[in-house]
Amino acid sequence: MNISYNWLKDLIEIELSPYELAEKLTNAGLAVDSVERFGDDYVLVFDLTSNRSDCLSHLGIAREVKALTGKELKLSYNDPEVASARTETADNLETKLNASPCGLVTIEAPDLCYRFTARIIKNVKVEKSPEWLIRRLEAVGERAINNIADITNYVMHELGQPMHAFDLDKLTENRIVVRRARKGEKIKTLDEVERNLDETMLAICDAEKPVAVAGIMGGFHSGISENTKNVLLEVAYFDRNSIRQTSRKLKLSTEASYRFERGVDIENLIRASDRATELICEIAGGEADAFVDVYPTKRSELAVSLRPQKIKTLLGYDVEVEEIKRILSLLGFKLKDEFSNGLSFVVPSWRHDVSIEEDLVEEIARILGYDRIQEEIPPSFGAGEYQPSEERKRNLRKTLANMGFDEAISYSFIDASHDARFEIVPNLVNENLQEKFITLMDSIIEGAVRMRPTLLSGLLDAVRTNFNRGERNLKLFEIGRVFAAFDDKEGAFPIERELFAMVITGGLMLEGRALPTREVDFYDLKGALEASFEALQLPFCEFVEKDIKHLRKGQSALVKVGGKEVGYIGRLSDGISEIYKFRQPVFVAEVDLQTLLEFEPVKPIYQPLPIYPSIIRDTAFLVKGNVNFAQIKESLEKEAFQNLSKIEFVELYQGKELAGDERSLTIRFEFRSNEKTLTEEEAEESHNRIVEFLEEKFGIRKRF
Amino acid sequence: MREKIQKIRENFELEFRQFQEIDFLRLSLSDAEGLMRNLQEFKAKHTGKKSEIAEAKKLIKEIPPEERAEFGRSVQEAERQMLSLIQEAEKRLKDFIAETKIRRETLDVTIPGFRWRTGHLHPITILRQKIEDIFVSMGYAVEDDREIENDYYNFDALNIPEGHPAREAQDTFYTTKGLALRSQTSTVQIRAMERRGVPIRIIAPGKVFRNDTPDPTHVPMFHQVEGLCVDKGISMAHLKGTVAEWLRRLFGKETKIRMRPSYFPFTEPSAEFDCSCFKCSGTGIFQDEKCRPCKGTGWIELGGCGMVHPNVLKNCGVNPEIYSGFAFGFGLERMCAMLYSIDDIRLMFENDIRFLRQFR
Repeated sequence: MNISYNWLKDLIEIELSPYELAEKLTNAGLAVDSVERFGDDYVLVFDLTSNRSDCLSHLGIAREVKALTGKELKLSYNDPEVASARTETADNLETKLNASPCGLVTIEAPDLCYRFTARIIKNVKVEKSPEWLIRRLEAVGERAINNIADITNYVMHELGQPMHAFDLDKLTENRIVVRRARKGEKIKTLDEVERNLDETMLAICDAEKPVAVAGIMGGFHSGISENTKNVLLEVAYFDRNSIRQTSRKLKLSTEASYRFERGVDIENLIRASDRATELICEIAGGEADAFVDVYPTKRSELAVSLRPQKIKTLLGYDVEVEEIKRILSLLGFKLKDEFSNGLSFVVPSWRHDVSIEEDLVEEIARILGYDRIQEEIPPSFGAGEYQPSEERKRNLRKTLANMGFDEAISYSFIDASHDARFEIVPNLVNENLQEKFITLMDSIIEGAVRMRPTLLSGLLDAVRTNFNRGERNLKLFEIGRVFAAFDDKEGAFPIERELFAMVITGGLMLEGRALPTREVDFYDLKGALEASFEALQLPFCEFVEKDIKHLRKGQSALVKVGGKEVGYIGRLSDGISEIYKFRQPVFVAEVDLQTLLEFEPVKPIYQPLPIYPSIIRDTAFLVKGNVNFAQIKESLEKEAFQNLSKIEFVELYQGKELAGDERSLTIRFEFRSNEKTLTEEEAEESHNRIVEFLEEKFGIRKRF
Repeated sequence: MREKIQKIRENFELEFRQFQEIDFLRLSLSDAEGLMRNLQEFKAKHTGKKSEIAEAKKLIKEIPPEERAEFGRSVQEAERQMLSLIQEAEKRLKDFIAETKIRRETLDVTIPGFRWRTGHLHPITILRQKIEDIFVSMGYAVEDDREIENDYYNFDALNIPEGHPAREAQDTFYTTKGLALRSQTSTVQIRAMERRGVPIRIIAPGKVFRNDTPDPTHVPMFHQVEGLCVDKGISMAHLKGTVAEWLRRLFGKETKIRMRPSYFPFTEPSAEFDCSCFKCSGTGIFQDEKCRPCKGTGWIELGGCGMVHPNVLKNCGVNPEIYSGFAFGFGLERMCAMLYSIDDIRLMFENDIRFLRQFR
């Protein structure tokens, strides 16, 4: 909102420069974004908080200046009390009924239109506004239209009250009916758009049809034109919610609706009407005629009490009772009562934001300035707490960073087309549900309406982004929540679960060196995942060969920790790679971090150091088909061969001299006794038994 | 006899020439090593047990006794001279070989050392961890809760009734089942007070969502940290002191803070808190130019705060006549952007490694 410095000076004496004024107002809670020169004037650009609708005018700001400087307002025209005293005896005033006796105004919906004033002004001459008026409107960012419209705008910016001028002769039967629109009624508004109204909307009508959308915009046909002779000036107060809802429904927001929905001063209508009438008569040469004020829904006076002790409690400092009275009275609050431990004040009709004691405390605090508040630390309380899993998660992050992984954070909403592409981590999705995932009504990002059930789509987007920017060697991880439906019921909270995912592709890089040492493979990612589990102090993990939807057959595994299925690892399938246009292998892993963190951290238990030396045998086996290292190791451990203390993988070799599905698997056996130093012969004997056992059990042959 | 010795010397000198006239400028390391081997052979040949000079020594018996002393001297002299020449040549070659080897094996010590490329935590994580550390040390518990909330926790309990402009202004994401993606971490205030009761001191870092069109200063998902302290006798002075304290711990001892009146439905009185610009130290001028992060004002707007609204306390079953409290909230992206001079916060969610690798 723009305020003209010169205009403001018409309303109150100001000794401060525009810049000083801006700072003072900002420190009182009326934030001035900038001060701009405008000819011989300055414009203060405000960024007001939504509660201060009373400040959406020069009068409103002048009231704040008064409270801050103690200067009196100098309005050249009637104040509200004088105005109402005059109208009390004049014309056809009737405020008790819903309609004026002469029938000029009828309010059929007093729940939506609390008060309506109408003034007839005759024999106006519609033309261009005088230069001073145009300049003032330009200063606050309004475009001049014609003298009548400009005056209504002018008074709105001056006094904060939106108003509308009708061409009286265009109103059927020359009268106004304020009612809800009827189903199917239409109106062409001033912006020349045909709008459909419904029964929830308040319309200003003539005897037949809507002539304005109440509080939002006037109708095109009943508007002021060059030929207008007689004017009906509407100054009214409408229900805030009604205006807001209609404005949303019509997708039409105006300076008027903006003010009405935030709340204008219902006791300011007559003054605003008088001010506009005065200006119209002066500038457009009209003659003031009949005036009616229909006020069926009275505003009830609100009194709020304030205990000085509350000020001390909330602000930490004392304010003298006299000082409280002085500040609040400058702001327009009237002292109503004084008790032994407090005061009671009547809230001015323009302050929609004050209703409780704390609000009054804030009024005092902001006028005295928040600088007055001291800095104190609350008395100590107890030890702080991290989230229980924080230490393990920090270990995990540090471990990953040390292994070269950069941390990604992706948006939680993704394209729904990803649904069918990825296998979701075990036990997240309830397959029995109609709608398994969480969907947004709409999203600012095109198509991204699915709350992600997997982190992989975000990481793969990151891979694509980096590829497009020429970075092909990537190691990324993300820790974040995914979402899935818990049940079908309306309002049931969904499952939110924290997952951990990784992606690697390209070469293994050294710091500061341009060329990779080699290309990454499955085992690089598996190693990183194993290291992550170690960082999380998890029990034993297993990798079970399994076909997974988004992974390439033969290079994918189900990941189990402590016997629980927690996720998948492998090489991204060719199908998905194609969708992303990846031309190099990409390896991904995703596991259910939340489930992993439910395992108690495994604490190391000391093993006595061996006393006697060991004997080592490295043996290569010819392995075929579906025999794998884990099976061999497991079966040997189960057999518990004498003196066999350790089984370690050495190498897996696939060479030209071997048949298609044959591999050479080299295993290291370590033999050791806890009682004595083994002899070569004893070790050899154990080793031979092992070789025999494996040949018998798996049909695998020793190569050398 | 003398002739014989003379002959030996002449033969030696003739053969030795190859070792004396070495063109070291054109000599390669392998040739030098070859020459060295030759020199050893030559040495054995001319000064070893089977050398001519050794043979000559044996002839002493045939020399008349009175000449023996002189003969001995001249043989020894000849032997000494030859050996010394050989040793000199040996030294020259050895030095040459050693120097060449050193020159050849000299390293470029400026080449990067061998280490695997390390990764980097996201700047948001780095900042969040720092802030958590500060607050935990100040006696706060770190809390978190749902990211998908219902309207009660996202709005009503926070004193934002339906129709409230603040509820309209925030472009809240809704699910098809009518739930809201939390638009502020203040939701955790309510959940935590329900769970823990009062007195309470918590901070709640987490993701929040607003249906805003992405631009350099807006993203539809970002991170907030919410703080809440409720106890008997908590005042706005405690709020100001706490905010000042943690900002000084984060940005340095010299940091100043100020509060300006503002409006939030869930606090009363409400304030915005600013800290002195960490680039220009609050002067508004950096290197003779208008400071960029603070736009020359010397102050950086960081977040909102205030005394917890009595309705919020009541909604959590806390009696506002007995307890009072403060709350504050701020965005991590914005703080990050200020801290690292990032001019477009959308970068935080693009996961471009050239961006991520700049933070430690």
